[in-house]
Amino acid sequence: MLKVPFALYEQQKGAMRLVALDERALAAGLFATQSLSDARSLCPTLVVREVDHGFLAGVFADFADWHSYASPIVSVLTDVVPYGDLVLDITGVSHIFGGEQTMLEKLTTRLEGLGYAVDGAVAESVGAAWALAHFLPGRVAAENIAAVLAPLPVAALRLPEEQIDGLTRLGLKRIGDLYGRNRQALTARFGASLILRLDQALGHIEDRVKPRLPLIEHFAERRFPEPIGLIDDVLMTAHDLAIRLSSDLERHGLGAQSFHLYLYRVDHQMMTLSVKAARAIRDPHHIARLFSHRAERLGGEYDAGFGIDMIRLAASTTSTLDAAQIGAFETHDGTADLDRFYDRMASRLGSEAVVRMKFVNTHIPERAAAFEPTISRTLDDPLAEPNTVIPRPLKLLPQPEPIDVLMAEVPDGPPGGMIWRRVRYRFPKASGPERIGAEWWNSDGLPASTRKLEDEGPPLARLFEHGRVTRDYFVVEDDEGRHFWLFREGLYERNVTPAWFLHGVFA
Amino acid sequence: MQTVARQQRLTDLREQIAAIEKRPLLAEGAALLSKEGEEGSDWQTLLKAPAGLLQEIYADDLRDSTASFGFALGLARQLITEARPAVLFLQLTHEAQETGLPYALGLKHFGFDPERLIIARLANPAELCWAIEEAIACRAVAAVVAEVLGAPKVLDFTASRRLSLRAASGGASVFMLRYGLEREATAARLRWRIASAPSRPPPFDDQAPGNPRWQVTLEKGRLGQRLETGLEVLVDWTADGFVSAAERQNMGDVRSRPAPFGAASEALCDRLSQAG
Repeated sequence: MLKVPFALYEQQKGAMRLVALDERALAAGLFATQSLSDARSLCPTLVVREVDHGFLAGVFADFADWHSYASPIVSVLTDVVPYGDLVLDITGVSHIFGGEQTMLEKLTTRLEGLGYAVDGAVAESVGAAWALAHFLPGRVAAENIAAVLAPLPVAALRLPEEQIDGLTRLGLKRIGDLYGRNRQALTARFGASLILRLDQALGHIEDRVKPRLPLIEHFAERRFPEPIGLIDDVLMTAHDLAIRLSSDLERHGLGAQSFHLYLYRVDHQMMTLSVKAARAIRDPHHIARLFSHRAERLGGEYDAGFGIDMIRLAASTTSTLDAAQIGAFETHDGTADLDRFYDRMASRLGSEAVVRMKFVNTHIPERAAAFEPTISRTLDDPLAEPNTVIPRPLKLLPQPEPIDVLMAEVPDGPPGGMIWRRVRYRFPKASGPERIGAEWWNSDGLPASTRKLEDEGPPLARLFEHGRVTRDYFVVEDDEGRHFWLFREGLYERNVTPAWFLHGVFA
Repeated sequence: MQTVARQQRLTDLREQIAAIEKRPLLAEGAALLSKEGEEGSDWQTLLKAPAGLLQEIYADDLRDSTASFGFALGLARQLITEARPAVLFLQLTHEAQETGLPYALGLKHFGFDPERLIIARLANPAELCWAIEEAIACRAVAAVVAEVLGAPKVLDFTASRRLSLRAASGGASVFMLRYGLEREATAARLRWRIASAPSRPPPFDDQAPGNPRWQVTLEKGRLGQRLETGLEVLVDWTADGFVSAAERQNMGDVRSRPAPFGAASEALCDRLSQAG
């Protein structure tokens, strides 16, 4: 820790002002919103940094995730400040910690022990808890929330600055002053948000928080008396947890498609490893193997810090999975094997790396076949089945490559030869053209250019847009028997020489 | 009397089980020589090798990559069974523009069900190597087709030996597509060299390109009684699979589907409204 006063500043309307200070800086008589130059002259030893809101919000989000060790529903309230307000839904959890009061104390003392300044409160609504945490910290308000909130200033309702100013000017300084007022008049003057916040704090209207982590119903966890660090230990624990989770799932007749491994580090950081499966599974060895593949992909990213003191394995996207016969009399199911194979590939190489091909109902060549990850396959479109008689190349270039054409017959004959990748070809045989136009009936829904070459080198073939482009495709064969798929973009017109592209190669 | 027959049956069954349990790690060499179903004139079975082999397919130049891809798919198609329905194609992501991506409509036209082909796009040769091993360990994969540009260090002789053994024990074949004139030391059982050859024009149109035709040379290994090292054959790819070019000449044009390119205009008739 720094031994000198430290503060963060921010550029506000052209002036640099302090926004956050540590204890030493406060003791030196500095305060937030003070200009940086004033602060420096008052306290020459002050060390300052410019505040990075994005970074702080990210760090705080990780910090929030770590609290899921206490309760699975963790959220960050961002409507007042982008970071700093942490909400835990402790419904049905507090008894594990010995009651609400004890839980609050345990959580706050743990953070204080780590050197944080922390205030907390427990209440039956998010708004009330926020108000108490900021203005009456340490309270557990079990009942009669209106009476508890009445003496607090209106700022405790999470209101914007203008509303607080306006209310103060009218003499409505405390929350209690708002009780029983004409709601329509208040709405007319301050907008609907004031009444909404009041109702939320009093619990009349439900205030929803957005959980940061996927909601989990089935999980297994292990807490360690001594923190562990090695990835092998983590994976071994994951295997043990998978066995426990699997029997839990089996009891409920369920399987899951996503599994998350939460690693809670001693230094209030959390790491998450997630794997997906192509079908609902619960085989613990398969799950453990997916995590070990996933860990291989981590490489240098794995950092246990000062150790991990809790690991939780959670299953999400569950669906019913009936018991299966294994061992003797097992029927050999090829597709199950394949799905397990896809899972392993996806966990090691990333979910986008293994793809299948799918027909799309369009006659535009580059869009007629799409790729789709094998672990999240969708239904096929029966209308998209292509006509197999029309020649199509075995391989398509992701981006059509421009070619120089030698001796093409005008207006729509095949070319006599080409120069492609600096090599000259002559075409004794050719067939075509097959003319493909834009989908005029669908001119609005066209996506913008999907493919781009990294460097803006050669001219790119235009995508079909707004019914302007027409392509004439030719199949050509060179002297040595190679078959290419070429197209001419546009038609020969006065003063216009259309460009030619190579789009695919036949076997 | 009956008991003797039963004894005999039991002994036979025990021997069968023993044969299954014995890992036929190096037995694939023998299988190559004594190919079952050795019918001298049948060209479709001539190029058919038993499953579980590491094979290399060389093309002289990168621009022939689609020819060797097509040839590998032709060989792989013969290995697809109900229990092993999938063929995996491996390619490095940054090489896709160089050699092209498999095209579902083209596969259909070629005569290979696109539903059977799974594509894995990888970042580096080490991942490629890992993916091949993982694929041949899967009991539902019939063949792996891996495109290798250049000569990456991780795919040296030791690696090829390892892959060869793995393929033999796993039962899936591996086709390595490689390019250039240089040959490296390899443990592959069979090595092919493939080049395109001018096609035979489809009937009624001498100016149109015909079915793919390849000049296939068996550079290493031996397949059955007729296909020895160094033997060159000229094969056509048709709807029925490989057909010898010489033989096709005699046969006439009865079997010359799929769709010679000249016939395209016929198919286009019903799509005239879409043109222009």
